[in-house]
Amino acid sequence: MIIITRPDITDAELDHIRERIEAVGLHTHLSRGEKRTIIGCIGDESLLQELPLRSIPGVENVLAVLKPYKLASREFSVNRSIVRVGASAAIGGQELVVIAGPCSVENRGMLRETADAVRGSGARILRGGAFKPRSSPYSFQGLGREALALLADVRAEYGLPVVTEVLDTRDVDLVAEHADMLQVGARNMQNYALLSELGRVQRPVLLKRGLSATISELLMAAEYIMAHGNRQVVLCERGIRTFERATRNTLDVSAIPVLQRETHLPVIVDPSHAGGDAALVAPLAFAAIAAGADGLIVEVHPSPEDALSDGDQSLDIPAFDALMQRLPAFAAAAGRALTLDGTTALAGAAVA
Amino acid sequence: MTPDGGSDPLEGLGRFRTEIEDIDRRLVALLADRVALGKKTAEMKRAAGLPILDPQREAEVIRRAVTAARERDLPPERIREIFWHIVGLSRTVQESGA
Repeated sequence: MIIITRPDITDAELDHIRERIEAVGLHTHLSRGEKRTIIGCIGDESLLQELPLRSIPGVENVLAVLKPYKLASREFSVNRSIVRVGASAAIGGQELVVIAGPCSVENRGMLRETADAVRGSGARILRGGAFKPRSSPYSFQGLGREALALLADVRAEYGLPVVTEVLDTRDVDLVAEHADMLQVGARNMQNYALLSELGRVQRPVLLKRGLSATISELLMAAEYIMAHGNRQVVLCERGIRTFERATRNTLDVSAIPVLQRETHLPVIVDPSHAGGDAALVAPLAFAAIAAGADGLIVEVHPSPEDALSDGDQSLDIPAFDALMQRLPAFAAAAGRALTLDGTTALAGAAVA
Repeated sequence: MTPDGGSDPLEGLGRFRTEIEDIDRRLVALLADRVALGKKTAEMKRAAGLPILDPQREAEVIRRAVTAARERDLPPERIREIFWHIVGLSRTVQESGA
């Protein structure tokens, strides 16, 4: 349930409304806009039936939220959420954000080379896998802790915030110490123990849609993180499993506008995993931006044919740069912006 | 120049950090005192046959904390979050009866 307050409400009136709701055992969440403020009620709403909510001073309207997700729902927030990553990036604003880097961190040299190149091309955040959830137990499993240390070093050197996947609840604190944003992979989207742990840490989370997860299930996964106290969630569409075998997955382009109707959380797209083919990355990236995505996450490797994982879908450095050069036109057509030279990086950004 | 007048900026930083560490220790000690009092009230509630969970009382605690936060120019929503954690800590200790 959400309570819409009168425009002239005082802090004391707001406190009073929230106290009345909390006194019956629910929690409240405040979203302030320029003109109006929304109080979201979280918990067993049947407890509110006895309360004369509409007659409490300051209340203008009371509306039911029929969706199973509350904190993630569009109704719960006056404005779209902007999720800040590190000191220099913000996802969900007018400016689109491109995250780029290797599928997995293989060694310091390749990570530095990639970070330097993608930053030069206009990427704002560096991705790099430390722990890899491979479909086969015999595939390369990632460098783990060693990769985290390399990511932290390269972040300091190049001033790019870092996103990396966390696979295990036991690693959440360790990864949070090294990375600016924690990624939940598609295979872990419904790992509720992991989602709960991520709710506890105050680091933004990049939540990838499961291969067979509905949009509603994705939003419930986000709700899990938010209900545990962390509201900084970015959703990622990365292709879903369909009958089509010509591509690795099928990019669900319609998920982008649907998510933006259903939630205030930013939505980005992973064109690399969606197609599973380097040749498809650019067209899928264009489609994603045209459909209203807030950003992209792209796999880039200095030498894709030598990559230890996902070489087929990685762009090499010139191909990534060529892609970036074409994106601003698509951003402009979609009513957004993408600047490649770093001039719009947030004030105070620590770019080395 | 450091805010407290020292000539070496790092020396000033070190002093502030020591002070922050001291505040953190006091915060934890205060939380321990709060939990201990919570345990005593839980025993009294049990003896009187009252429920441990008292949402009305919790809501009052939150409202008072937020009012005090505003007076001190602290962000009220963040103080709310912190106090719900503190209230939650007391509640789990009371409910476990440990």
